Amino acid sequence: MAAADAPLRPAARRPPAASFTSDRQQLAIGILLILLTGLGPSLLGNSYWEHTFQLVNIYIAVAVLQNLLFVDAGQKSFGQGAILGLGAYGLAIASGLNGLPLGLGLAAGVLAAAAGGLLFALPALRVQGFHLGFVTMSAAIVFPQLLNQLDGFTRGLNGISMAIPGLAAGPAPGLSWLTLLVTAVPVAALLGHYGLRQLPLGRRMRIAAESPEAARSLGIRPGIMRSLAFVVASVGTGICGLLYVPTVGFIAPQGFLIELSFVFFFAVVVGGRGQLLGPIIGIWIVFILPTVFLVKLVEYRPLVYGLLTLGVVILFPDGVVGSLEAWRRRRRQRGGGERAFRLEAVTALFAALPDAPLPAPGGAPVLTVRGASKRFGQVVALDGVDFDVRAGEIHGLVGANGSGKTSLLNVISGLSLLDAGRYLLRGRDVTRRPAAAIARQGLGRTFQTPRVFQSYSVWNNLRMGLDARAAAPDAGLARALEGLRAAHGEESPALLSHGQRRLLEVVRVVLKDPSIVLFDEPAAGLSSQEREEFAALVRLLARKLGKAVVLVEHDLDLVWGIADRITVLETGRVVASGLPADLARDPAVQHLFVGGAHA
Amino acid sequence: MLGQLLPDLDVIATIVLRGAAVGALFAIVAMSFNIVHNAAGIFNFAQGTIFLLGAFGAYVLADRAGLPWWLAMGLVVTVAVGAFTALQGWITLLPLRSSVEQDSWLISTVAVSVIIAATLTLVFGSHGNMVQGPLPRLTIVGVRTPGAFLLAIGAMLAWYLGLRWFLRRTFTGLAISALSQDFDAARAAGIGVRRLQILAFAISGVVAGSAGFMVAPMISVSPDAGLRYVLNGFVAAVVGGIGSNTGTLIGGPLVGVIAALTAFYVGGAYQDLASLLVLVLILMFMPQGLFGRAAARRV
Repeated sequence: MAAADAPLRPAARRPPAASFTSDRQQLAIGILLILLTGLGPSLLGNSYWEHTFQLVNIYIAVAVLQNLLFVDAGQKSFGQGAILGLGAYGLAIASGLNGLPLGLGLAAGVLAAAAGGLLFALPALRVQGFHLGFVTMSAAIVFPQLLNQLDGFTRGLNGISMAIPGLAAGPAPGLSWLTLLVTAVPVAALLGHYGLRQLPLGRRMRIAAESPEAARSLGIRPGIMRSLAFVVASVGTGICGLLYVPTVGFIAPQGFLIELSFVFFFAVVVGGRGQLLGPIIGIWIVFILPTVFLVKLVEYRPLVYGLLTLGVVILFPDGVVGSLEAWRRRRRQRGGGERAFRLEAVTALFAALPDAPLPAPGGAPVLTVRGASKRFGQVVALDGVDFDVRAGEIHGLVGANGSGKTSLLNVISGLSLLDAGRYLLRGRDVTRRPAAAIARQGLGRTFQTPRVFQSYSVWNNLRMGLDARAAAPDAGLARALEGLRAAHGEESPALLSHGQRRLLEVVRVVLKDPSIVLFDEPAAGLSSQEREEFAALVRLLARKLGKAVVLVEHDLDLVWGIADRITVLETGRVVASGLPADLARDPAVQHLFVGGAHA
Repeated sequence: MLGQLLPDLDVIATIVLRGAAVGALFAIVAMSFNIVHNAAGIFNFAQGTIFLLGAFGAYVLADRAGLPWWLAMGLVVTVAVGAFTALQGWITLLPLRSSVEQDSWLISTVAVSVIIAATLTLVFGSHGNMVQGPLPRLTIVGVRTPGAFLLAIGAMLAWYLGLRWFLRRTFTGLAISALSQDFDAARAAGIGVRRLQILAFAISGVVAGSAGFMVAPMISVSPDAGLRYVLNGFVAAVVGGIGSNTGTLIGGPLVGVIAALTAFYVGGAYQDLASLLVLVLILMFMPQGLFGRAAARRV
């Protein structure tokens, strides 16, 4: 089994620079392409391509923001064309028609776009997915109708002509300020998208998009993330709208029909969802190709991009850039193998830490649940459950399937609300508090199906726990984390076994540094060696760091091996609770051992 | 004050009748949404243009036709639109075989909507067409009413009852209903999930296409009209509670009457704006709608 140790000696046989994502390379290529197309035609004195690419680069910037919204925040918007139009009309009405100073006009444009974004962002607080798809699509339908109707403000079909004379001049012959601006904006959008991905905020948005429950368990409110993404994308798109005015020189409702919104959306899909380079290639294919090669057949354009998009979704769902990236990843991905991700490093890390001041035994419980009741329709999931966990205690929660273990965990983590009863966490009543608030109060949990994010490297998956920490890691921990980053920074979680994914999630929640940790069937799918490592880590968490641990588990040997106290649930009621040695003799518990779990 | 705002009785009757008739169309589109949504978890963004295919069918095959020819062509168009939607469903469901790709339907159904509208524009031009149906104008509560208005309301009720019977009384219908509860359980119970989902697409096409055919005389048959029906149909579905056909009976006419009131007091071009505002408000304050099931959370 030489391959098993490979991750420890990465330089041996594998290509040295196989990075997990190609974001950095795509960013560089993207900026290069924008600079070439944005400045090249002007420097060569080709005014046709200069003008074409000015508009194309504005559209690329809008598509970059659409890409961010679509993949990083998980929101499908069919209304970005309307937001672009709001930015353009805000400027043109304020400064072009009413003669306000340019500064005010620019502010009006951005504000108008932001207001449009709020229309999307407010419902996003409550709902997601296709609901918002319809809201944004409706806005794109309504926007040109309104422009036509409110012709007192917008001049309706006649449109508004507006030039910004200062922009025609420039620092060098042939190179206008407008050209520079129109080139700078998509570069800035691309840098912004790349930058967001490096920030905790970017990771939070992505978690909220891909797994709202995991996000809430890490203290993130998904609705806020969705709304924020809409507002950010709208402000950026509004700025693009400002530039649209001097670039085209004339704006009219026909310029902002729903077809424009579809162009942005389809460009992201065709280019490759989530790829930094995707929107550039996408706009080139969806917009330039039909515009240049179907000049005589303008009416075929919507049909062409509709068919193109359908074809891409069915045949190459990753899009052009995404398919290339998938191919690169398959060839060069790292990680995997029997021992690709193990707890030893982390366990050693915590073993080396100084002891936390352990609370006196019998102190006030960290978590108190009294008379907890929860029903789903006719089904009683919890029926008056009392439950206490103290700091430094490992509390096993066992019972047959359907006995209410996971329901209790969901109530404790705030994912579902109690119908009756009270719940105190660290002395505070959190009975009606949302999950994200409870997580920020110091609770962490894992899930039966581990929430591991394929779009992030193993290290970045762990880092989500660090992002959710209340206090920054101290010097010792930070040094140790460098080791984890070096080992797993470029490894793909796609290659991890099910058990390893579980352990990854365990480490993530430990790095969050909660005062109480809930493990939901953590040992399922672990090898016997992994089980031992897990048990060692849990002991350290409780004994050394003073964490309270709740362990829902079917592996009764494991539970009886490490738990300080055990509570047995049956049909939503506590039937026994006490020390493991006492419970093992309790007739109420005996049948658990006879059942399949122990066989 | 109030007296000035309230118009004459026959104007009110006109508004309500027109609103209910147009709203019945929204309800029908909403029901066709629900069928596919319940069976496949998919919202077919092309449902509005599919409705429109029925109307174009009437324009091409049954304009100014007598009753027997109209009925025969209605059957042909309904079957054709149903078959087309089944094909669309098959294509839409293709990428969903892999478990990673779960939201491609949103893109592919929008793309199909664009393709249909673009094709209709290429063939028929972008202007609105008028269709004359077989039913004469009738006089109801002193208001002269196009026969198609009654046909619209009748079609809504007929499809509601028909779907109710189908989903509750036939084996296939019950199997489709089971899908809406739990895909995995349905699959485990030996139900051919994929075939039933394509069947649900076909039924949604039959419902929307037949309605489009029947009510062609009361709408402007133009390629871009599909968007209006997909939007308002969705608002009707959300108001009624997504997945609930009973809800659409209230949601549809409610949205229709709001649109008619907006047209009367503010202007015809503001109807879609009114629907958008209704949508935003209901999503913010009552996202489950009137008859919606609270979605069970899975962890």
